[in-house]
Amino acid sequence: MKNAPWWLLGIVVVVALVWAAWPEGETSATERAHELASELRCPDCEGLSVADSSTASARAIRADLSRRVRDGQDDDDIRQEYVDRFGESILLNPEGEGIGVLVWGLPVLVLVVGAGGLVLALRRWRLEPAMHATSADEELVARAQADRASEP
Amino acid sequence: VRHPTRWIALGVAMVVVVVGVVLATQVGGDPRADATRSQLVGGAAPSFAVRPLEGGTLTRAELAGRAVIVNFWNSWCAPCHAELPALARFWARHRDDPSVAFVGIVRDDTERAVREYVAAKGIDWTIATDPAAKAALDFGTRGQPETFAITPDGVIAGAQIGPSSVEDLETMLAAARGKRR
Repeated sequence: MKNAPWWLLGIVVVVALVWAAWPEGETSATERAHELASELRCPDCEGLSVADSSTASARAIRADLSRRVRDGQDDDDIRQEYVDRFGESILLNPEGEGIGVLVWGLPVLVLVVGAGGLVLALRRWRLEPAMHATSADEELVARAQADRASEP
Repeated sequence: VRHPTRWIALGVAMVVVVVGVVLATQVGGDPRADATRSQLVGGAAPSFAVRPLEGGTLTRAELAGRAVIVNFWNSWCAPCHAELPALARFWARHRDDPSVAFVGIVRDDTERAVREYVAAKGIDWTIATDPAAKAALDFGTRGQPETFAITPDGVIAGAQIGPSSVEDLETMLAAARGKRR
């Protein structure tokens, strides 16, 4: 029972990770096209995704995405087509390679280091006694032991 | 673990160093720098099919064998208005050259507004509308004006994002003809 909080924390972490990583069900062609549209930056507006914009470019891209999805093209291939045509900046989310790895990896690194530090700190606090005996306490104990020893 | 505080401090220091290096190397870079140049230069030009104001359909295949300048524009676009005199001067030099074609493709505008603008400004090169903005998308345009030079065998030899000067247009035409200026 001493380690129960740690076990509980472990179970919560595992459940959260499994829940986050659990594959979603099949998405429809419309949903896939919309997801891709929300990942692409509208080429002729500031800070809006293709899904959120109503410019002619955004409308044309949405139609193109729907057609490509219907034609059975893979999501990665579709993204790559757009990167080839517009450059990396067409992607709202940075790629998970090159310098993009740092964007994704740095928060994880900070989290791991932070969690490690927390664990070490908690262990240290637990190992250290909460109260130290003063010399008066020690004298009191010594006297009590002496009295007990002298008892018949 | 001995000296846990030192390990925590070391971890924090490492994270700070990594963040510092990333910031130092990336702070000067514009993440959208690739938006200022076309990714298509050197590759095959998209096979467009646009509708000239005078009727019919114009495809890239029909222009094969000629150096083609394609200019994306709109009648409501102020930089396009600023660019117009350069386009007119450039076309005045080359309109009688059968090896050169010049096509203005409307990016996002109404046909009526385009017709009125073309008539008012006396534009005499081919102006075409782009159904469903397909050509604008295939050329990877991000706005207007944007201009592309295509070689006679269909390769994009140059591109200009933003208004072109006569000098820019001549440089792109020379590139499309395989010559250096």
